[in-house]
Formats: sequence, C-alpha cells, structure tokens
Amino acid sequence: MTQEIDVSLVQITKKFGDLVAVNNVSFDIPKGKFFSVLGPSGSGKTTVLRMIAGFETPTAGDIYIGGERVNDVPPNKRRCNMVFQRLALFPMMNILDNVTFGLRRRGGINKAEMERMAEDALARVGLKGLGKRRINQISGGQQQRVALARSLVLDPTVLLLDEPLGSLDLKLRQAMKLELKHLQARMGTTFVYITHDQTIALAMSDTIAVINLGKIEQIASPEELYRRPATHFVASFVGENNKLMAGRVTRMLDDHICEADFGGLPMIGRAGDKLKPGDTVDLFIRPEMILLRPGKHENAILGKISEINFDGSHSLIIVDLLESSRPLALNVKLQHTEEAPEVAVGDVVSLSWRWDAANAFHPVDQSHIEKEA
Amino acid sequence: MWTRIKRNKGLWALLIPMLLWIGVLFVLPHVKLFILSFMDRRSGAFTLSNYATFFNKSLYTKVFIRTVIFSIITTSLTLAISFPTAFIITKVLGQKFKALVLMAIVLPYWISELIQAFTWMVLFRETGVINYILQLLGITDHGIEFLYHNSTIAIGLIYTSLLFMIIPIMNSLDTLDDSLIEASYDLGGDFWSTMREIIIPHAGPGIMVGSIMVFMLNLGNYVTVTLLGGKNSLWFTEAIYNQFIVRFNQNQGAAFGVILLTFSVIFVWIVLKITKQDLTEAM
Repeated sequence: MTQEIDVSLVQITKKFGDLVAVNNVSFDIPKGKFFSVLGPSGSGKTTVLRMIAGFETPTAGDIYIGGERVNDVPPNKRRCNMVFQRLALFPMMNILDNVTFGLRRRGGINKAEMERMAEDALARVGLKGLGKRRINQISGGQQQRVALARSLVLDPTVLLLDEPLGSLDLKLRQAMKLELKHLQARMGTTFVYITHDQTIALAMSDTIAVINLGKIEQIASPEELYRRPATHFVASFVGENNKLMAGRVTRMLDDHICEADFGGLPMIGRAGDKLKPGDTVDLFIRPEMILLRPGKHENAILGKISEINFDGSHSLIIVDLLESSRPLALNVKLQHTEEAPEVAVGDVVSLSWRWDAANAFHPVDQSHIEKEA
Repeated sequence: MWTRIKRNKGLWALLIPMLLWIGVLFVLPHVKLFILSFMDRRSGAFTLSNYATFFNKSLYTKVFIRTVIFSIITTSLTLAISFPTAFIITKVLGQKFKALVLMAIVLPYWISELIQAFTWMVLFRETGVINYILQLLGITDHGIEFLYHNSTIAIGLIYTSLLFMIIPIMNSLDTLDDSLIEASYDLGGDFWSTMREIIIPHAGPGIMVGSIMVFMLNLGNYVTVTLLGGKNSLWFTEAIYNQFIVRFNQNQGAAFGVILLTFSVIFVWIVLKITKQDLTEAM
C-alpha cells in the first residue's frame, strides 16, 4: 500500500554564510502522521521547520507540501501553519480575534460563520466560551491551546510545532503531551513537531527523525529508535544508557552480533556499525534491561552494589564490576515490582542481560556533542 | 528591603528639587498668567474683555485655527515620515547600520533650533544654495524666493520635531516580538494586514506619545515659524509675543496663553479618548 505523502524534503541544504545549518536532509512525512524532529540545540531542527513554513529558503534541494513544490511559495500562501515556540499570540486582540485572524485573511467567509468556526476550534481544544478574554488573562496552558486553535481552525495540510510545550511546567507538559497526541489522532492532521526533549518525541510520535549537526542520523519509529539506534549519536542521545568506552571487538558471532572485550570482560551486543574483529567500540547498555539476578542471557557478570538511588517507581543502582581489569560500573534500573530482589549497598550481585539490550558502535569524536537531559 | 526604603520618609526628600523646579518655574508662572488674563490692563479689575477680544476679532481666531490645523498637518506628515523610518531602523537594519542611521538622525539636534532655522534660510533664500544650483543647472534664470511660504514653514517644523516622533515609535517597535510578524504571515497575512492588525496597534502608545509631543512642539513653536515664515507665518505664538513685547499688553497676552494651553490639554484628552489610548500607558 502506498501512502499519501504530505511533506517531502528532497536533499535540503541550508547555509548561513559559511555555516552549514542543514546538510542534505531528505524525508517524507505520510499523511496524518505525527512526525517529530529530535535533536540537541543547534542541530538545525528549527531551521528545517522554518524552511517548511517558508521563513527560510533552502540553499539547495526541494520542499513539497501536498505534492506541490513550495520553494518559491511565500509563507502566507502555504497550506501549513505553525505553532511558535513562544506561541506568538497577538496580545492586542482577544482570544476569538486571535483565532479568526487567519480566517479573516482568507476572506470569503461571513463574520458569523467565522466566529462559529473559531468557537468550534476553541471547543475542540477545551476552551469553550473563553473567546472574549484577553491573552494575558489566561494561563500558560490555555495560551498553548489558543495557539493550537488559531492554527487548526485553518484546517492546514500540515501543522508545524516548534517545541511549544517547552515553556510549561512538568505536570502541565505531561498533560498537554497526551492531549496533543489525542487531538492529532482525532483530527488526522499531519503534525511536524520539533523538540530537543526525547521523552516528548518518544511518547507522541509515529516517526522520529533524529538530527545532529544538520544531518539526519536516523528516521524510525520511537521503539525502533530506542531499541535499535542506528548511530553512536542516537544511542547516546535517546534514552538513558550505560556507555562503556573503547572496548575491542574479539569476534563476530554474526553480521550484526559482536563480542567485545572491556577490561577482560567479554560482552555480547548488537553491532550498530559494520564491525570486524580488532575494531575499537563503545558499548551502550540500557539500564532497565539489566537484570539483578543470574540469568540464561548472553551476558552474565558479577558486581558489587556501591550506591542505591531511590526514585519512586524504581531505584537506580550503581554496580561496580568485580571481574574487570579496569574500573567499570553499570547503572541498573530496578523496577519496584513484587518480584524485585531486595538489595543493599555492598551486596555482591549477578547481573545479566540479553545481547540485544546492548549496542556497539565505532567511537566518534564526541567533544562537540553534549547530551541534553 | 523595598518596603523599608518606601517607609523611609527621608527618601521622599529626593523629590524636593524636582517639585521646587516644577512649582517655581511651571506652576507659579501659570497661576500668575491665569490671574493676569482676567485683569483689566489699566485698572487691574476683574474683566473678561481679554477673552472677548480673542473671540470678537476674527484675525485672532483665524490665526489660532490656522495654527492648530497647520500643526495637525505637520504632525501627521512627521508621523508619515517617522513611522517607516523607525520601522526600518528597528526591524530591518542590522546592528551596525542601525547605530549609523540613528546617529545621522540624532546629530542635527546637537545644533540649536535657531541655527537650524538659519541653515534652512541659507538654503532657501533668493540668493541661497538651492537657487544657486538651480541657476547653475539652467532650470531658472532668476532667483526664486522659497522662504516665507507655508511649505517652508512645514519643512522647518517637520525637521525640528522628527526626532521626538522617531524615538518613541522606535521604543515601542523594539518591544514587538518578531515572531508576531511571522505568525501573522504564517496565518495568511500580507504586508498591509500585518501592519494594520499587528504592528500599528502594538506601536500605538509610541505613536501617541510622539504625536502629542510633536503637536505641542509645533503649536508652541516660535523661532522656526517666524524665521522661515516671516510676516506670512501668522502663528498664534507670534500673536502672544506681540502682545507681551510689542504692545506691552501683558493681560491680553496672558489670555492668549491661557487659551492656547487650555485648548492643547483638551485637544490631547479628546484624541486620547477617540483612539482609546491611556495616557499612563502611552507615556
């Protein structure tokens, strides 16, 4: 089955002077999907969004919206609307006038019809009857919804969101996150969401494009991205990970399963890059995939608990590995289920994990990459 | 900390120099002016005749109306020139050019208004720079008198008050978040609708402050108007000057002064009401 493509970027490059902000980026966004662009600040993700919106012109490459090439179409003629990072609501108007702003520009609709459409849009985001209020009379979360309604009332082919949840406090952000996802599912509008916050991207998206230094690192579903990161950057950026540095590949069990030596300890993991025996690798192991008991899994080692950090539903346990020739420690996330073992600092424990909980990559120069929490 | 400062009575003493300044140099003279305007020139008895003169002699009312309308026109022209300038400086130019253009606008105000007016005279008079160039180019073979026209007065007034319009508008445009302009375009707005619905409403208080200041400056201008307008200027301040200095009729001059002041205050109040601007917000 072929899917209808709403937004398509073909080999897009954007340079600001000598700086290459976006480097040969291509992706297709199928109709009705929630697509996120995830990357650290300065990765070029905002530039990508601004090019789709029409505020920046690509230096090279083509952008298609709804099958039409829009490189030369100004922002006010594109069938996409944007929810701005700082919302950019118009403080000189009340809520209703904010929402009807786009309709008034479009013309051909009478006033009563416009107001009915705006009331509809406001009702859809849960702000029924607040139309007469001014922007500074409503809360941050409500402003968020007005910004959504203002764009959605125009029934855009694509809704672009520039990290609009970033300014909200944690609780509200969690609530809005779900609400946004439900709204998208209900309306079937294609959403393109820009964020540096991976928890938002993972929770909401159908597909995530991870971007770093202007280049696409991986485009995949959240689960794929989490379980099978394609690059060293994705493995270190998405989710929490134990990172063991500079091991040496001893043998390949398979094209994509390798065994590497870390301080005398053999560890088996998925080969994220094309590896061969003798290569230096970094290994990423998910803390929640490590079991605190002897198991039949490919990896099994002994460690001593040096620290336990209680965090409600789980504890983060730091375990020093006993059998390695250099000091190595692993973070283990222990869910507080009924079967969870009782542990205390100083206990010697068996650790085990499956091969595919670990991903091995060639080390890269990481000096310029800061992992954002 | 702050409440302690607020409770400290001594701190209010810092306001005394300013209160003295306003009291001695502004309030007292105006009270005196007000009293003088109701006094008979010879006997000093209470009379309304000074005001009656204004309303009975059509010359004075005509000059007054001319001054007001002329000031409204020049204020509007100043606004028409200043708004695009302020917009370009704040929203279009880069930091470097911004400073340069701003400097070019501010520099002429380091010279006194009197010298500015003389400069215009050097340019405009029959044997002036413009005439010299026109004759050199063969456009005209005799000197043309550019001075003493309404348009010359307008040019002078606009020039002397430009800065007082540009600066407040720039201040208000500076606080306009660029993303509001982008949002307007994103929602389908074009240049004019963005101007009308977003930029001008946001700059409203700045436009108001600038317009009030410029209107007052024009209304009360004397130097530029008399030098560039000569006998044709027919400016109300000239009538006041004549009463005080030429005819030694302080009481008549005072009445004219009170009329001008009262009118300006009422006019500004009405304009603020009509444009739904708040004076405290505008300032």
